[in-house]
Amino acid sequence: MKEFVYDVFTRKERGDRLQHVGYVDAFDDETAKIYAWTTYSEEKWFEMCVVKRTNVLPVNRTDGLFVEAQRTADV
Amino acid sequence: MSRFTDEELMQKVQAGYMVEGPEDMTEGYRKALRVQLTVQADTELMSAPSYWMAARYAPSTNTQVSAHAIIQDELAHANIAYRLLEDIGESKEHLVYGRQPHEFKHPYGFDQPLDNWAELVVATGFFDRAGITLLTDVHENTSYAPLKRALVKIGMEETFHLRHGEVWMRRLAKAGGEARELVQRAVDWMFPMTIEWFGLPDDMKRHSGQLDFKLKGLTNDQLRQVWMASTVPLCEELGLDAPAHWDEAKGEYVLDYPFPCQYDAVDKHWAFDEGEISWDAVFERWKGRGPMNEIYVESVQRSRMDVERWLAA
Repeated sequence: MKEFVYDVFTRKERGDRLQHVGYVDAFDDETAKIYAWTTYSEEKWFEMCVVKRTNVLPVNRTDGLFVEAQRTADV
Repeated sequence: MSRFTDEELMQKVQAGYMVEGPEDMTEGYRKALRVQLTVQADTELMSAPSYWMAARYAPSTNTQVSAHAIIQDELAHANIAYRLLEDIGESKEHLVYGRQPHEFKHPYGFDQPLDNWAELVVATGFFDRAGITLLTDVHENTSYAPLKRALVKIGMEETFHLRHGEVWMRRLAKAGGEARELVQRAVDWMFPMTIEWFGLPDDMKRHSGQLDFKLKGLTNDQLRQVWMASTVPLCEELGLDAPAHWDEAKGEYVLDYPFPCQYDAVDKHWAFDEGEISWDAVFERWKGRGPMNEIYVESVQRSRMDVERWLAA
């Protein structure tokens, strides 16, 4: 079962910053949303969203996980 | 090729440097982190079938919900730890589905059956407290930033598990009679089980690099003391016998039985009267795994291949 990494972002209260809380592996966007909602259930989030890691474009670094994701996606 | 030597990285992390990913690591750091995360992930994963099979003893729909909420949390924590392992080049697929039962690295305590509601609540009161003890230390001290961030969530939820265990231990202990006896019997086998969980005493500990690379802050003996410092007073408050006491002269908790000692997994009985055994004998017992090892691992792995085959068809 081929899965992708999705990074999970949440906002606890209205007006708070959107913060990175973790990540899940999922085989498509819909399951990523479900996995994120059930995995990161420690708070009553005002907002949660997921971003497929390959869709994050690194700006100032040429190393690290986001670059790695891009490299994997290019193959 | 790492940009640091092991010694350089050790000095840097001791001075507060935070490692963000594989590009910052040496091979030695990566290995030490892999060992630590594998134990953490396997422990969270194997607590799930252990608690899940015991959740059938929950006495109400409310307690069914809370028991399953704990199981859901444990599986999420395992998933997070395996995801962190993937970031450093390990395969979650292999770790969860490709290993034999005896190859998992969880503590011997999660190879044991939980046979009634009292055992489940003492397990969450004792084992989850051991988990919090170990992970709080990692959270406060680790030099690996992604793990530090992940542990915020894990710490919050483990505290709830512990509270659930404590509330129910109190309730059953206060009820007296059979309820109290069952809690005492659970304490009798789970207290030494958790003490052993923290591993070799410091004077015998092999060098693992986890302290040098600042992947943890406290030694095994210090962690054992932290766990006893909350567990022994809890047992005293509930009128339960725990085989340890505070030694005023030494300024630490002291065990009232030979440590380590032999365990009969069938009768759930520690052979205090047979005296101290060697740590080699303990490792031998751990290596042989406990009675539920294969059943728990099988319950996690069983449907994977079937579903893969359906999806591939």
